[in-house]
Amino acid sequence: MWSGPWVPPRFAAGRDVPLRGVRHGAAGLLYPGHIPTSPLQKALLAAGSAGMALYNPYRHDMVAVLGETTGLRALKVLRDQMRKDPEGAEILQKRPRISLSTLDLDKLRSLPEGSLGQEYLCFLDVNRVSPDTRAPTRFVDDEELAYVIQRYREIHDMLHTLLGMPTNILGEIVVKWFEAVQTGLPMCILGALFGPIRLSAQSLQVLVSELIPWAIQNGRRAPCVLNLYYERRWEQPLRALREELGITDPPTVHVRGLA
Amino acid sequence: MATHRSRALWSRVMRSCRLPGFRSSWPRGPLGARHLSQEKQATETHFGFETVSEEEKGGKVYHVFESVAKKYDVMNDMMSFGIHRIWKDLLLSKMHPFPGTQLLDVAGGTGDIAFRFLNYVHEQHKGKQKRQLRAQQNLSWEEIAKKYQSEEDPLGGSRVVVCDINKEMLKIGKQKARAQGHKAGLAWVLGDAEELPFDDDKFDVYTIAFGIRNVTHIDQALQEAHRVLKPGGRFLCLEFSQVNNPLISRLYDLYSFQVIPVLGEVIAGDWKSYQYLVESIRQFPSQEEFKEMIEDAGFEKVTYESLTSGIVAIHSGFKL
Repeated sequence: MWSGPWVPPRFAAGRDVPLRGVRHGAAGLLYPGHIPTSPLQKALLAAGSAGMALYNPYRHDMVAVLGETTGLRALKVLRDQMRKDPEGAEILQKRPRISLSTLDLDKLRSLPEGSLGQEYLCFLDVNRVSPDTRAPTRFVDDEELAYVIQRYREIHDMLHTLLGMPTNILGEIVVKWFEAVQTGLPMCILGALFGPIRLSAQSLQVLVSELIPWAIQNGRRAPCVLNLYYERRWEQPLRALREELGITDPPTVHVRGLA
Repeated sequence: MATHRSRALWSRVMRSCRLPGFRSSWPRGPLGARHLSQEKQATETHFGFETVSEEEKGGKVYHVFESVAKKYDVMNDMMSFGIHRIWKDLLLSKMHPFPGTQLLDVAGGTGDIAFRFLNYVHEQHKGKQKRQLRAQQNLSWEEIAKKYQSEEDPLGGSRVVVCDINKEMLKIGKQKARAQGHKAGLAWVLGDAEELPFDDDKFDVYTIAFGIRNVTHIDQALQEAHRVLKPGGRFLCLEFSQVNNPLISRLYDLYSFQVIPVLGEVIAGDWKSYQYLVESIRQFPSQEEFKEMIEDAGFEKVTYESLTSGIVAIHSGFKL
């Protein structure tokens, strides 16, 4: 429904959607998978998911739920930023999705080395991840904002590629710091602050002294990464893209060796 | 027997007319009236607050319990603050089984009722043995040695068959049995409450705890219960019911709809199943209505006892 020609949203963006408690039916559902929730439910979900995510870090679905229930304000700001930028506005219109079914893997593999497409594929292979493990949005009560958070989730692997960070806990924390500065989503801020809790002293030291300042610097300097139409930039050399965004090389620590 | 069945069928038609969302599917006008009599019985029913076809409902309910099976016991404790244990204990004390009772526990998936039954009759049997010993004070050494050697059944002949339609729930039940050390007197059968794989007049007691709400044709389940019970047998049902106190009802609704699906999402990663749970509770008939349904199936001396202000009720009936 979101990939393809522009479909006008059923409700004017920005208008408060009346929340109908939990009695769902065909009406009240703004997008497939939408679960309307009351403010009380959102509060309980936010608290519960935060607690569960800390208790069991393998519950990635809880991190997603936390993002959806606490991110309304930040998502609106992001959406407005996207509207102001020509590339971002096009993304909002066209609603591209990144998944194994929408990516042309053969074409990406045939691209020259050092290009964004190649590096991205390489990243997926080396870290053994797939773009299809992103949970669909459920608790955002605005169709356009639901897409914005979905897009944010789907470009997460792109950010790993851009920053050159692996998917171990240290790499994830660095990307979270970058995302926190870029998006202002409470979930990212909480993840960035509480993620390091389980780290060893050595990793913590490296993180605090070198990696976090680097991530913050780059996060501030770079324009909003949601405004990049990655699907049009597969051929662009990664180095050139990094220069365009002002992203410097990561500090020379063996991020993979730690954590 | 025939009158019972036709009465049950008629009451089912009348009841199905009261389902929400159902009225919209009745065609109007004289042509519609002809449709009514020609069409088979109502093919739509409720799945929580959704309207689905009867064929669909079974599959959807199966899917719900397949996904909640692993966290079923944890969620029960969380949602009821452990009170569900008291309810089940009360069911057993009402049953008051003696050694030798043959119990059929339908929709008994994870075995809560079955294990309680086994513990109960085991205790009863031990008590009986103690009383016997006390009465026989002047035993010779040979007689005492014989008593120790005889491998008497610790359950005194009691047996429980756990029947459930869902493989996952039975799997969890079997794991629990192994973990808790229940071996003797326990059987696990995959079966449908609407069509039990047992002969007539087989069991002394039939229980169904928090299961009958999920059955597509409750009246058929009740008729099957009547069939497999021995004459003199007892039907016991522990199920969510209607709250009688308006204040508590408001609080209960608030808790059910606001908190429970959230608990389901956070603990089990499954909002929809627990949404179905709280909705299906609202769709189940009241204490009196259910009592009438049980009587329609042929049971006599039907009574009910509301627990926790009517959040749950235990219905009891006898096949005489």
